[in-house]
Amino acid sequence: MRRSLPWVALALAAVLSGCAAGGDETSPPPLRGPRYFGSVRPPHGDVLRFINGAEPETIDPALVSGEPEGRLARALFEGLATTDPRTLEPRPGQAARWETSADGLRWTFHLRPGLVWSDGPPLTARDFVWSWLRALSPATAARNAGLLHAIAGAEDFNRGVTSDPATVGLTAPDDTTLVVRLAHPVPYLLHLTAYPTLLPVPRHAVKRWGDAWTRPGHLVSNGAFVLARWRQNQSYELTRNPRYRDAARVRLERVVAYSVEDLNTAANLYKAGRVDWNTSGYVPSPFVPRLRADADFRSAPYQAVYFYSMNVKRPPFDDVRVRRALNLAVDREAIARDLLKGTRAPWGRLTPQGYPGYPAPPPLRHDPADARAWLARAGYPGGKGFPRISILFSTSEDHRRIAEAIQAMWTRTLGIPVALRNMEWGSTLQAMTALDYDVARRSWIGDYLDPGTFLEIMRSGDGNNRTGWSDPRYDRLLLAARGERDPARRLRLLGEAEALLLADGPVIPIYHYSTTELVKPYVRGLWPNALDTHPLRDVWIDHAWRPGRRNAGGPAADPEERP
Amino acid sequence: MTRYVVRRLLLFVPTLWVIATLTFLLMRLAPGGPFNAEREIPPAARAALAQKYGLDRPLAAQYATFLVRAARLDFGPSYKFPTREVREIIVEGFRVSAELGGWALLVALLVGIPLGVIAALRQNTLADTAVMAAALAGVSIPNFVLGPLLVLAFSLGLFWLPPALWEGPQSRVLPVLTLAAAYVAYVARLTRAGMLEVLRQDFIRTARAKGLPERVVVLKHALRLGLLPVVSYLGPAAAAVIMGSLVVEQVFAVPGLGRYLVNGAFNRDYTLVMGVVLFYAAFLMALNLLVDLAYAWLDPRVELK
Amino acid sequence: MSATTLPVALTAAAAGPPRSLWSDARRRLARNHAAVASAWLLAFVVLACFAAPWLPGLADPAAQDLRLGAALPSATHPFGTDELGRDLLVRVLYGGRISLLVGLVGTLVSLLVGVSWGAVAGYAGGKLDEFMMRTVDVLYALPNIFLVILLMVFFSRSLLMLFVALGLVQWLTMARIVRGQVLTLKRQTFVEAARALGASDRSIVFRHIVPNTLGPVVVYATLTVPAVVLQEAFLSFLGLGVQPPDASWGTLIADGARVMALFPGLVVFPGLALSLTLLAFNFLGDGLRDALDPQDKQQGR
Repeated sequence: MRRSLPWVALALAAVLSGCAAGGDETSPPPLRGPRYFGSVRPPHGDVLRFINGAEPETIDPALVSGEPEGRLARALFEGLATTDPRTLEPRPGQAARWETSADGLRWTFHLRPGLVWSDGPPLTARDFVWSWLRALSPATAARNAGLLHAIAGAEDFNRGVTSDPATVGLTAPDDTTLVVRLAHPVPYLLHLTAYPTLLPVPRHAVKRWGDAWTRPGHLVSNGAFVLARWRQNQSYELTRNPRYRDAARVRLERVVAYSVEDLNTAANLYKAGRVDWNTSGYVPSPFVPRLRADADFRSAPYQAVYFYSMNVKRPPFDDVRVRRALNLAVDREAIARDLLKGTRAPWGRLTPQGYPGYPAPPPLRHDPADARAWLARAGYPGGKGFPRISILFSTSEDHRRIAEAIQAMWTRTLGIPVALRNMEWGSTLQAMTALDYDVARRSWIGDYLDPGTFLEIMRSGDGNNRTGWSDPRYDRLLLAARGERDPARRLRLLGEAEALLLADGPVIPIYHYSTTELVKPYVRGLWPNALDTHPLRDVWIDHAWRPGRRNAGGPAADPEERP
Repeated sequence: MTRYVVRRLLLFVPTLWVIATLTFLLMRLAPGGPFNAEREIPPAARAALAQKYGLDRPLAAQYATFLVRAARLDFGPSYKFPTREVREIIVEGFRVSAELGGWALLVALLVGIPLGVIAALRQNTLADTAVMAAALAGVSIPNFVLGPLLVLAFSLGLFWLPPALWEGPQSRVLPVLTLAAAYVAYVARLTRAGMLEVLRQDFIRTARAKGLPERVVVLKHALRLGLLPVVSYLGPAAAAVIMGSLVVEQVFAVPGLGRYLVNGAFNRDYTLVMGVVLFYAAFLMALNLLVDLAYAWLDPRVELK
Repeated sequence: MSATTLPVALTAAAAGPPRSLWSDARRRLARNHAAVASAWLLAFVVLACFAAPWLPGLADPAAQDLRLGAALPSATHPFGTDELGRDLLVRVLYGGRISLLVGLVGTLVSLLVGVSWGAVAGYAGGKLDEFMMRTVDVLYALPNIFLVILLMVFFSRSLLMLFVALGLVQWLTMARIVRGQVLTLKRQTFVEAARALGASDRSIVFRHIVPNTLGPVVVYATLTVPAVVLQEAFLSFLGLGVQPPDASWGTLIADGARVMALFPGLVVFPGLALSLTLLAFNFLGDGLRDALDPQDKQQGR
């Protein structure tokens, strides 16, 4: 024991030097062609392996509310319409065509003939009626049942006011026809039908197996894939569904979705070549500046906004002048540029980009002098007499950094005392719901391609409002937009509503989300789009891909379709 | 013997009851509930969920039901995964953790015991100091430092082994090595100490004087008693392996019980956490009992009180 | 040699210089080079970490340099920087302060509780002893790391709660050890003498018996500190220990492991700091144990 210390020291020195030598990642890449992050050997066979995030709570489409669950649900089931992976336009899915009535309140869907479930029985319009009613049933406790509230009688049925399904505007006059009666026009209804809550569910399987119907061996699907295997807390394995209506088009034999949440593990798996696609959000943000130079890194804007909300039930936030002052004192450009290293765009609106034809109001600006003026008008010149406020955020290094930056901005520009308050996610959400906060960090992801999905949350009394803000003018504009049949006029009304929200409302937008994902160069068929949805049936593995060689169709960062 | 076993088994019940009550209270007293998500749940749905989990009844009633069901090993459905029973999550998770822990202990014994014996036989030589130094290093480097280092070398550097997950024989290697390292060290030290103690005894000298070959002396006579400290360590070792697996499972994303516990605690998955904690407690107590029995069987000098 | 000198020489040699338990132990310890080196290393580490705020030339641990980002070791940054451009050497030193503080205070808590509990139980004997040790048994059977996790998750994750939670977990073995010692000691004559002199039970326990248990207590305490430091690092690694903006070695390692695919230094340096410190504590503890009781049958723990 006495003479062992020098040996130990030697051993440790060896380990240390080995590790240090491995860390020489900051040297410039050799000028040999595109550089990739890690191993680029394609897997054996037509299999796609990807990082799916947290272990899905359930893959029952009616109960799905998160992204990991949604990806699986959409791979297994197909709705009336599907979304084009590049343009996000609705395309015929299980329904071949559809018509709308003149007043927009009645939609008729015509299903393709000969649709079957993966275990053989035919799929009819009655399956859709049954599935949607099930999603609306209070016993199911579907989190996103609100998406169906546009259907006549649906909201009452969902809230338990009525219990007779016949009062809901859904009928199936025959096997291939589905008639939907709406309470108010919904121009984006087709987008909604691709959403998991509206996907069809196999009645025979659910009746037979109850809660266990989503197990492998029990689950029956109508989409491009079937559920082959589930390794608890590790992966879901899907295989091709030969009975899918368009099975010939599906080129993947197998799909493995790994339930990995840890960013480091995800990055390591990708680097070691054990997964082919690291979905958005699972790339550690400190890597991004370095990965930008890699050909397999992709970043594109998508439908989510990061913002702060103010509790208008608590003074001084009940004064619109104070709210304006706080908004004008935030330098979004600096945050995006210095803190986020340009990985996110600074954003001055609640609605994200990517809505064609939407007349968005001018974004909120950064104007310290104006901010101080408003604060003085509110009765706190130079910040004198302003109470101590706190910024609430859930535990995360990213949230903390931004909160610290904004705290510094408000203190410097307005001279007001600001504290930070951080709790874990569950408690933060509770505090926000109970209106027990001053300023809180939030974000919102769009459910469908329409500005309404962002503006609706700020309606009076909406469960997701969480600010206590209530403006009858805003509510009226939203209501008018709901009843408006002409799309252009409807978008104009929404634009006016947002302008009102930005001027008087309780939100401080900060940045616009972008995807950050890693895709191996031999994976084809994953196109970037605003909703970041990627139908797996369009993905395929290019076994002919080789590094350095000029591959057919150009660099991998610009995927193209093989005819 | 049987009286001893019965008495120990009887101790199970109050201990488990204490743990169950403590966990139940902690869960109920803590802020936050299981239904929180960014999206609001309509009140009818919320009521349905509350009814499903029995949360709408008074606390005492919940507690009573909980105890009764727990005795039947029925913990109900998990909060976070409503279509799954806690019991089957535990079984699945335990299968993985047991394999990980089992391999780790096996490696610890298969590597540690020979090392300890060698060190004892060659006491105070280079071999001895080398083994003891390595052992001390193994004990001092935490597994959450060793794990990443191994991954850096063998997975990200050489691409030989997967950096995470639990599928296929290749993926067993690094997690098991990481978990086993500290226990190899402990077992080696204990074996060495035990062997040194035994080798000093008179009966060993007698055996040698009788002319028996060294190998027989060591393996047949000395080892049985020399391993006693190792045997009595197995109980705490199993407990420590379980604790160590919490981190190893996080580092390597192994879908074991430890990960469920940690994630469950963060997610406020009440039922799952209670089930896991009670399960672990019962398992550890059973293990300790077995170890004590084994110890008594091995060492005739010990009498069970 | 004449007949008279031999006996004198013999007795003189037999008597030798005056010895006591402590000087004996000190000499044995001094001969254990590894333990001595460890003691020096620990002294250096503790000094460096606790004196960090006042050391000249050290960067500010919170100073960020976003343009620099993560960088390799250099002249200005001997350990490199983390992804926010913060100097890693300074972060490791400040992290050490927290880690060591938690280790020391946690050990102290467990010492106070464990020694008192064990001493009282051992001295009182009978029903009280039975009850107190039964409680220890029950608590020992509890998977206490889980309780610590639960406590940290559901209640405040403050430093204070961390001290309490960790201290609660470590006192049990201390209690057992002390009780064992007390059981032997209380039969000794000096205790009877004290009682005969009219000393109260409390003063007997705390002024006569406890000081004589110091040997094993000191050894165990030296081995408890690294155990607590390790537990804190383990909890911090899981996200349940020290919370930002404070950083301990555990959180530094966790942060480093998150980005190790590109920046391995961020996990290697704090990992090394933690491992070396634990190694030194273990060497020292072993050395003390050897020095104070070379025949100790509990060796190898």
